Parts: sequence; structure tokens; C-alpha cells
Amino acid sequence: MGVPAVPPKAEASGQKRKRKNETNGAPELPSFGPLGMEMHSDEENAAVGSGDEESESDHESFPELDTRDDSEDDTSDEGNDPEEHDGSSSSSYLLEDSEDEVDVSQDDVVNIGPRATTILSKITGRPKRVYPEIVPDYDSDSSTEDDPNRVGNIPMHWYDDLPHLGYDIDGKKVLRPAKGDELDKFLSTVDDPSSWTSGFDKLTQSDQQLTSEELDIIRRLQAAEVPDASYNPYEDTVEWFTGKGKEEVMPISARPEPKRRWQPSKWEKQKVMKIVRAIRQGRILPRKPTSTQPQFYQLWATPASDHPPPLPAPKPPLPTNAESYNPPAEYLPTPEEKTEWEATDKEDRERNFLPQKYSALRLVPGYDQFIQERFSRLLDLYLAPRIQRKKLNIDPDSLLPQLPSPQSLKPFPIFELLRQEHGSKARCIAISPDGVWVASGDESGLVKVWEIAVGREAARYQFESRVGSIAWCPRDDVNFFVVGIDQAIHVLVPPYIPLAMLITTLALLTPVNPPQPPSSSSPSLKWVASSTAPVSRSPSPLLTIHMPPSSSLVKQITFHRRGDYLASISESDSVWIHQISKRHSQAPFKKIKGTVQRVQFHPTKPNFFVATQRYVRMYDLAAQKLLRTLQSGIRWISSLDIHPSGDHLIVGGYDRKLCWFDLELSEKPYKVLSRYHSKAIRSLHFHPTYPLFASSSDDGTIQIFHARVFSDYLTDPLIVPLKVLRGHKIVEGLGVLEIRWLRDRPWLVSSGADGVVSLWCN
Amino acid sequence: MAKIVKKGTRGAAKAYITRSAAVKRLQCSLADFRRLCILKGIFPREPRHKKRANKGSTAPTSFYYAKDIAYLAHEPVLKKLREHKAFAKKLSRALGRGEWSSAKSLEDNKPVYRLDHIIKERYPTFIDALRDIDDALSLVILFSSLPSSPRLPSSLIESCSRFSSEWQLYIMHTRSLRKVFLSIKGVYYQAEVMGQTITWLVPYMFTQSVPADVDVRVILTFLELYQTLLGFVLFKLYTDVGLVYPPPLDISRDEEAAGVGAYSLQDAGPTNLGPNHRSKPVDVDGNIVKGRDVRKTIKELAAISLPSQEILASSILLPQTTTEVAGEDEFVSQSSSADIAALPTLHSITQLPSPINTSLLAPFTFFLALGSPRPLLEFVIRSFGGRVGWPSSMGSGSPITEDDEKITHVIIDRPIPTVSVLSTTPEELRRTRKYVQPQWVVDSINAQRILAEGLYAQGQTLPPHLSPFGEEAHAYVPQTGDLDAADLILGGELDGEEEELEANSDMSAANEDPADPLTAADLAMKAAAQSPTDLALLRSAELEAERAGRDTTEFESSLRKAFKKEDKDHLNKPPGLGRSHEAEMNKMMMSNKKRRLYERMKFSEHKKATERELLESRRAALRKEKTKELRKAVRGGLVVKSA
Repeated sequence: MGVPAVPPKAEASGQKRKRKNETNGAPELPSFGPLGMEMHSDEENAAVGSGDEESESDHESFPELDTRDDSEDDTSDEGNDPEEHDGSSSSSYLLEDSEDEVDVSQDDVVNIGPRATTILSKITGRPKRVYPEIVPDYDSDSSTEDDPNRVGNIPMHWYDDLPHLGYDIDGKKVLRPAKGDELDKFLSTVDDPSSWTSGFDKLTQSDQQLTSEELDIIRRLQAAEVPDASYNPYEDTVEWFTGKGKEEVMPISARPEPKRRWQPSKWEKQKVMKIVRAIRQGRILPRKPTSTQPQFYQLWATPASDHPPPLPAPKPPLPTNAESYNPPAEYLPTPEEKTEWEATDKEDRERNFLPQKYSALRLVPGYDQFIQERFSRLLDLYLAPRIQRKKLNIDPDSLLPQLPSPQSLKPFPIFELLRQEHGSKARCIAISPDGVWVASGDESGLVKVWEIAVGREAARYQFESRVGSIAWCPRDDVNFFVVGIDQAIHVLVPPYIPLAMLITTLALLTPVNPPQPPSSSSPSLKWVASSTAPVSRSPSPLLTIHMPPSSSLVKQITFHRRGDYLASISESDSVWIHQISKRHSQAPFKKIKGTVQRVQFHPTKPNFFVATQRYVRMYDLAAQKLLRTLQSGIRWISSLDIHPSGDHLIVGGYDRKLCWFDLELSEKPYKVLSRYHSKAIRSLHFHPTYPLFASSSDDGTIQIFHARVFSDYLTDPLIVPLKVLRGHKIVEGLGVLEIRWLRDRPWLVSSGADGVVSLWCN
Repeated sequence: MAKIVKKGTRGAAKAYITRSAAVKRLQCSLADFRRLCILKGIFPREPRHKKRANKGSTAPTSFYYAKDIAYLAHEPVLKKLREHKAFAKKLSRALGRGEWSSAKSLEDNKPVYRLDHIIKERYPTFIDALRDIDDALSLVILFSSLPSSPRLPSSLIESCSRFSSEWQLYIMHTRSLRKVFLSIKGVYYQAEVMGQTITWLVPYMFTQSVPADVDVRVILTFLELYQTLLGFVLFKLYTDVGLVYPPPLDISRDEEAAGVGAYSLQDAGPTNLGPNHRSKPVDVDGNIVKGRDVRKTIKELAAISLPSQEILASSILLPQTTTEVAGEDEFVSQSSSADIAALPTLHSITQLPSPINTSLLAPFTFFLALGSPRPLLEFVIRSFGGRVGWPSSMGSGSPITEDDEKITHVIIDRPIPTVSVLSTTPEELRRTRKYVQPQWVVDSINAQRILAEGLYAQGQTLPPHLSPFGEEAHAYVPQTGDLDAADLILGGELDGEEEELEANSDMSAANEDPADPLTAADLAMKAAAQSPTDLALLRSAELEAERAGRDTTEFESSLRKAFKKEDKDHLNKPPGLGRSHEAEMNKMMMSNKKRRLYERMKFSEHKKATERELLESRRAALRKEKTKELRKAVRGGLVVKSA
């Protein structure tokens, strides 16, 4: 136990103490040193020894500082030092300690445990408390009680798979306490009112009732209190080192106080003198005026920097007549306008005031929004993003493209000459190559052949189900047309054809010895010639191509320009190319991506166009390969047509777009006309000879365009909208379903959902 | 292969910075940032691609130019703001410790920023500053009329009212006011100073209070800037016309509510005569006059209490005359040199702005009757050279009293009293004076001529007050001047006649048209009607008519008919037909971008047209109603007469 050297401030007390001891005549040196260092607690006042008490009181009355006598200090130090290292002093200290404990127990009011008896210590001669010996009988120990835990504090999952839990003293397995099933558990929760205050104890593997203390801890934790019940967070401060009577009396070091503590600082003086000198010389002005610069002066007298100035903020618009206090009466709002203005949000109002009229200036009230408006202007100035916009000061009509007048591009159809009525939606039409006959089919399965010039019906054919498509053979030497119904394509011969032509037609369609289809032909497809006699006005077809039973309605039939081949598509996406002369059919594609919308033969080359939902693909039939894919940007293609020159293609979509492709140019459209029809485009057709094309739509209109294509590659095609033909009614959301041009006249035939087939003439 | 560019180091990501990033970068509070932005005139920008500027985020944020923020980073004001933050901490610590002396010394050395350099930076030339003064004037004038409160110290209000008075004094002195508009929001003034058109708005004289939804801190920051700007601008303006700035304020007169009259404009003496300039001794009648004598004489002169306005008026007249002389000189020199140069054409003359008569009201003396707005009228009348007086109950400083014989107009804004009140003015004076309402002054100024007082007399229903700033192009233009009652009646009859005529002609036309083809004269007339401004066509039509042997009166009536018919055709023509139909068709050949632009332009055009049509139809309806009433009244009068 290391006792620190007595600090210089303590030496005086030591000296005094010494003097006191001398007066008492009973110096108790062994206890002196340690006592002087150790006694800091109040309890020591209770531990009364006669000699000690005196020294205690000495200690408490703080001696005055006396630094005059240094020699005495030294002597007292010498007197103290050997005693501190004395072994006996430490032993006495220990003894005294034990006595202290006795005192403590005496002070306590409540006694717990065995009663203690107080005896007089033989060694110190002081009273001492002695406890009775512990006799190791049954009462004294609880070790014989049956401890439920036999294994100690181990991870209990080691016993998870075993039926027992540890071993008893005999080495026998102690079985697990019986655990009820879920029902028991539930019943116990219902029956036992204390079950909810019990928890599973892993060590004993059984439910244990929580003690009241534990429950109290839980309650305290729930209430966010200190879990320890005995802990008082608001205890009074115990002033251990400060406060009255606790002042530090002993110096920490014996070093004499340095001179600088009481001498004025030299450096400070130097610093102050520096300032004083500066003030004297006038370098520092003590209370100089805040600013010598005048508040306002010729700011712009000095040349400006060459930075360009920031753009000035736009000025608010100047007030107009409506803002006048006495505007003309027509500016005043009607009551409806007033209520409407009041109902709209502040931000949405066109004007931030309502025009008002006052008969005299004195009647004009203060404007209540004045400060708000000024404030919003300020907010605009510093919070609103500004964009420099070029104001277009042009006539909007100058933006319109300069196109030739439609009057100069005549002829084109402008009026409806005649109409042919069908009972139901007229789905499809076909025009004979000589421009005399029109065949039109409708949903009820009726196909009419009528004369264009007069509208006289020449023949009618009734089929069982709706007509999917009609196409007329473009050959000049024969005359027949095909009708797609269900899964069959019927070949029909129109009436009133010259005999020579009829003979060649019959020879083509029903030869005496029909050609055998080549082995490559699909076996599922059948060509059936009618057994009936070839009569010119026969309502039954001469030849029928039965498509495979899996396919559905034939939705489009298109002829090759020579008239021998025809392509058909069914709604089940199968594309077939049939050859009439050889009665041969083949499917050119094994599989096609997407649903096929339209197909078309190239007018001059052995190319074949297939429009799926989004793309138009161009195939070379001879080489059997894909040439290019045209990307139209249309969501759903509805129609397709090729310019007679073969270099241009138009594609229409259900999303009201029409794309013009220049096949020489690019795979992207050269021109997109979007939304000139208000509904989906249904059909497109280029005029075979005139520079015209037309588009029909579900909005019941037909648009005629002039489309001039130039043979040189430098001039872009010229597209001029010419005319909107109206006349078809919209039935069930469908308008004009198909349009066809006559070959050598600028006439147009259209079939509508209203069951009308119209002829439009120039 | 091209070098891989790290993301966010180029383009919009680099050029723009969000507001929070800017605040972080400048290490200042949001309030300080706002203050800086207001003072420096930095405003957010709208990047073309928000996503690119904001690291792929599309959250709504405001963007600033990164360079703007970089310039802000070494702004002296920002440094001062930081110093102020430290100062505030030190001060609060000193106050908390009760160290009063150090608190005082801290307060004495408080960091204060000046905005001179910012003004110079934002407005490198004086004209730039003058051009941008509109908002400053409006705000300062608004604040000069607000009541002071703990948030708006009275010193601020005083300084604002000082600036507004100084501005008004300058405008009156240089007579640069051009237009005045009495609106429901306040009075708009437009002045032309050094070639710049400046418009400001003054609220009517009512006590206003700052509403709760207005952030006063923002306004105060703007006010700080605007006060500095106005101070420098006014200093320059005053010194340029040779006046002392700031004009001294007579406090006693200010307390008597003399308004702008409390300030006296002083001529600045000859400045900067040079160090070696020695004034030659002046001798009058052989005595050498010293500076002391001169000062004495000036004092004596000042002691004679002349109304300041008269001094002003005399001083005002001087520059006016000089400018006129200068103008004449210029004209003479031009005419002498115009021998070779092209003669002024009609077009060039009409293009020139009409000279503004700034001494329009100079021949008149006005007296403001009780109840008329004195600040407004005093400012306006004095700006146009008139003399104004007012009763002493409306403030002191009136140069004339009510019984002055020079008074030509009394401006009165009161109804005619039903019971004749004993007037203090003698009857003969009442007869010589004209009693007009305030609008007469304003309308005369805007019209640049003295309007007839009859329409504006006391108790009359005033003619509508129109905006002198005009309307937008193609907007509705109201008819100037109300039509006379007789005119209305006659016009109405004429209309009725014409309607009948038209009906007849329509019928006849229906009968005739298919029968006989139009003659050459008819065709010519039609052409003339189609372009009513073309005089040549009209002339040819007349010739044709002569050739056809028609009477001149007949020709005129038929011409009028043709005009009317053309108008009607023009109105009745549906938009979907003719040329517009073709345009509709051509629209589909436009690109999407162009079409959108076209449609937007057409939309606004259409909107304007509908608005105009609505107003026109309302006017027609109002007019018809009025005519009907008048007719009824006239008929009633006739009946009474005949009876």
C-alpha cells in the first residue's frame, strides 16, 4: 500500500498533530500515519478511539497555511516517513477494518440470518461480533433437495433427441418431465389462471411459474423503466469531493508557486505597447467612423467589365382595357362568367382580376390582392426557370406545304354515281379486268355480279356462309373470278361473256383430262371440279379448292399479274399459292412469325410481300429467300398495296397511319401520314394507270390522293390529298371495308359496312 | 474505339446542379442561398432533359447552372454572410455570459455587406439599370405606403417613401411622364427616361397590411437590392440634370403632409473646376463681390418665402425651351442637307413617333377640391406643366388658395349635391372655372390634347377610361368616344333601312342571278368590295359604272350594298369550305412537329378571334338596347310635344 509523500500543505497539520500528541502524553505513532491518509468517510467519526478522536478533530479543523518555517517541515517529514513503512501499522489497520464491519452491523436496524453475538476481542480489546458456527446437518443445507436440473448449464439441445435429461446420482437416466400435447397445453391455458405468467425453462424442460420479481422486471421493461426495482435514478448527489468541508487542503505538488503567477506578463505588455504605438502613430484609429464611402456615388463612372450583362427579366404585360376602373360596358363579365371565374383555381385563371366598373374614381376600393401579386412577381423573378424562346412571328398558313391545287390534278372521283344495295355488310369487291363487271360479296354469303355502267345485276350466287374475299383473274383471254368462302376457294365464271372466251375459260378450268397435281403438292388440299355440266349461268362453281380442314376462313385472295397463280391467306395464318393450270397448291412458308395480315405479288418481279402485324417482309420466290423487312412503325397493319411500277409500297394500319415506302430508298417509310382518318384504315388501293391512290377507313370516308412517282431517283414522289368522299354510313363501328379502282378510268368502287357498294366517278 | 466517357462528367450532368447540391456546395443555409440568388439575380434553369441533368432521376427539383453556382462561391456577400453567422454566435455568447462591453464592441464591428458591386455587375451600364427599374419602383412605392410594424421598421418605410418621392420629383422636374392609366389595381404610370420606357404601378391610397401567406423575408431581401439600385440610379439621374442628390427634406413640412413638396430640389454648383482655377473677382458697380456677400444675398432671397413650386416651374421651363431650340436646329440642318437626300415620304413621317407635348397643362391652373386624390393629381398635373393648389385640409404647401383668380379648372370627385350647399367660392369665380372629374386630366394626357370638359363635368356619367398602352394585336378594340344620342338614333334608322334594302336585294338577286350574268360593272364593284382599302379598284369600279350609264347615287348605294354583302359573306362562310378546306387537306402532309406548331398558332388565333367576337357581339347588343331606349324616349318626347 503506497502512501504518497505528504504534500507541503499537510506538513503544518502534521506539525500541529505532533504538538497535540505531545500534550496528550500518549503518542500513538503506529496508527498515526495511516489514519491521516485513510480517514475520509463520515463513518470514522463513529469509530471512536480516545487518542484517535483527538487526531480526527485535528484533521477536521483545517490548519492555516504556514510556509514560513521550512526546517520544521523537514523534520516532521523525517518523523513521518519511517512509520509509514512500518509493518505493524498495516496490521493494526487491518484489525481496525474488521472492527469497522462490526460497527456497521450494529448500526443496521434489521438483522437477517443467524443472530450474531458481540464479544470483546482478545487482540484489540474491542467488542466484536461473532456468528454461530454452521453445523452441517439437514437444516443447514439445501443440497439434498432434488435439483430438477441434472446436467448443469449446458446447451439443452444436446438432449433434444433423447428421452431423458441427464442422470441421477445412481447413474440412471432421469426421464424428461411429461409434456402434454397441444390440447393439454391449450386446456392448461384455459384452466390454469396462472399459465400466462409462466414460461418454458430450457434447463428443466418444463414450464416454470415466473416469480413476482421477474414479473415486475417484465412490467418495468414494458413500461420502459429501469428494470431494477431498487435502483433510484433520482438519487441525491453525494458530494464526495466538493461542498462544505470537502475543500482540498493538501497541495498537489510541493513545487513553489511560479513567479509568473503574480507577475504581469512581459509578452502581453509588448503586445499592448505595439498597439499603443500604432495608435500614437495613427496607424490604428480607435473609434473610426464605420464607413467613409458615401452611400451612393457615381457607380457607372468607372468602366464596366467586359462581361456581357445577364439578360433582364421579362417585364409583366401591360394592363389592357379590361383592367380599367371604368371600362366599356362590354368588358364586364356576365354572372355566369363571374361564377366560373370564381370556381376556377387561382392558377388556372386567365386573368387574375374580374373587370369592374365604377362610376367615379372615389368609389374605387383598394385592391386586396396587391401585395400578393407583387410577391408572386418577385417569386417569378427568383424562382421561376426562364427559357429564352424564339417567338415565331409568322403567318401560320405559311407553314402549310405548298402543294398543287387539286383542281389542276383532275381527274379524280368526286361524286357517287350509283350504288348497289346488299342486305348485310358488303365485305369485298372485285372488278373485272375489262372494267365492265363488279363482283361484290357480303356477310350473308351473297355474291352479286353487276354491270358498272348501269348498275344492273347480272348474276347472284348464294353461299352458305360469309364471303371472305373475291378476286378477279387479271387475264384477258379468260374470264373468271374466285370467291373465298369458309375453307374453300370457289372458281366462278361470270355470265354474258363471249363464246370464244368462255371456251378458253372452260378449257382452262375443266380440261378434259385434268392435270395430275405434282407429288410435291400438299395432300391435305383438294382440287375438286364440279360434276355438273358447264353451263354459263351456272350458280355452282366450276372448280373448288378445299383448303385443309384445320384452316379457317379465307380472308384474302390475290392474283399474280399473269393470272395463273393466286395466293390466299386464311385466318389461321396459312399462306397458300395455287396454280390454276396445274391444279397445284403449295405453302411457301413453313412458319411465319406473327399473324399474316396481307400478301401481295410484286407486279413485275417474282417477289412476294407478306404483311404481318408489324412488319412487311419481301421475299424472292424464285430464290426462296427473304429480301428485306420493312419497318413501318404501325402497331397493327391492316392493308397493303404496291404501286404499279413496283418501286413503291403503301401500308395502312388500324392505328390510323399510312406509310409510304420507297423500296429503292430505305426500310423506313419515306412519308408517314398519320391520323388523317379519324378511325382505322381498312383498305388501300393504287390506281393501275392513273397517278391516284385511295384509302378507306372506319370513319366512313374515302380519301383520294394524287401520287405521282418520278422515274428519276432525284425527285421525291409527290403526294397531294385531293378529295374526301363521304357517303357510307358507319355500322357497328365499321365504315368502308374495301375499295377498288377501275383499270382504265379514274373511277372507284367501294363497299361499306352499311351494305352499299358505291361507284364514285369524276 | 472511342474513349469511354465516365458518366456524369460531360453534358447536362455537368452543366446543371440541383438546388440542394448547390446549397451543399456553397456551405450555406437555404435562407442564405435564397438571399444570394435574389441579390445576384440567379434563377433556376430548365434543362432540356431533366433525367440527364439529375443523374437519371426524374424527381421534381430545380436546377441551376453549375457555373452560376461556381461564381457564387467567391462572392464577397457570401463571405460576409458567413462572417455574420460567426458574429451572431459570438454576440449571443457574449450576451449569454453578460459580457456587455465585448458585446458592444462586437456590435460595433458587425459585418455589413454592400451591394454596390452586385449592382455594377448586374447592370454594367446605366441604361441597363434604368431598363430594369420597373419592379424596383413598384415595390418601393408599395412599401412607402405600408404601416410600419416590428417586421417592417419605420426606417425602412421612411427610406422607401423617400425614394418614391425622389423619383416623382425627378419625373416632374424633367417632365418625362408619358401615360397614366387608372386601373382597378392601382394607377399605372409610364415615363420615358433617357429613351427607356419605365412603367410602374402605384396602389390607391388605402392602408394595406402584409397578408400572412406572403413571405416577408423574400420581399425584404428584394427591397434591400432595389433600394440600393434606386439610390444609384437616382444619384446618376439627379447629378446628370445638375441637381443635388439627395434632395434635402424639410421635416416640418413633411410633418404637415406636404408630400413631395417637403423635398427641395437644389442646383448643384459648378463641380470640379480644377485645382488651379481661381475665380475672377466679380465687381458690381465698382464693388468687389465676395463669396460672403453672395451667400448673404442667397439667404435673404430664401427668407422671402416663395413657394418651392414656382422655383421649380421656372427651372423646369429652361430645359424644355432648350430642347425645343435644339430640335429646331436639327430640323434646319436636316432641311439644308436634304437637297440631295431623299425627301421625307408619308410613310417615314407616320413611322416617326409623334412629339409629346409635355407642357400640355401649362396654360391651366388647377385646384383640387376636397376628396380628389391629391398625390395622383399633383404628380400628373405638375408633370405636364400645370399648376396645382389644394385646400389646406389636404396638406400644406399649396401654392394657391381657393379664391385665386388664376384657377381655370377645379377637379372635383363628388356627386352634385341635391341641396345647394353654401359655397365659399363667389359666383363669378364659379362661372369662370370648369368643374371636371379626375379622369379628365388622365384622359387628356393620354390623348395628348385637351379634351372637351363637358363629358367629364361634375356628376356626369364618365366615358369609359381606356388603357393607353393599347391592346394586343388582333384583339378587340373598343370604339373610342361614346356616340351621340342623335347619332345613335340616326344610325339605328339607317341600319333598319339597310336591312330592308338588303332583304329586297337578296330577293332580287335570287330572281336575277340565274337569269342575267353579272355585268362588268358589277364585277368591278365586287372586286372593290373584296378589298375595301384598295382605292384603285374603287376607282375602276366607278369608271365601269359610268360606262354602264349608272347614276352616281345609285352607284354609291350599290357599292355600300356590295360592301355589306361582302362582309356578310365573309362572316357566313363556314370554315370547312373553300380555301380553308384545302388547307385542312394539306395539313396532313405536314410533319408532326410543324403540324403541332401550326395547330397551336391556329388555336391561339382562334381564341383571340372568339374573344373579340364575343366582345363585339356584346357591344352590338348594348348598343341596340341603348338605341331602343333612346327612341322610346324621343317618341315619348314627340308625343308630349304634339299633345
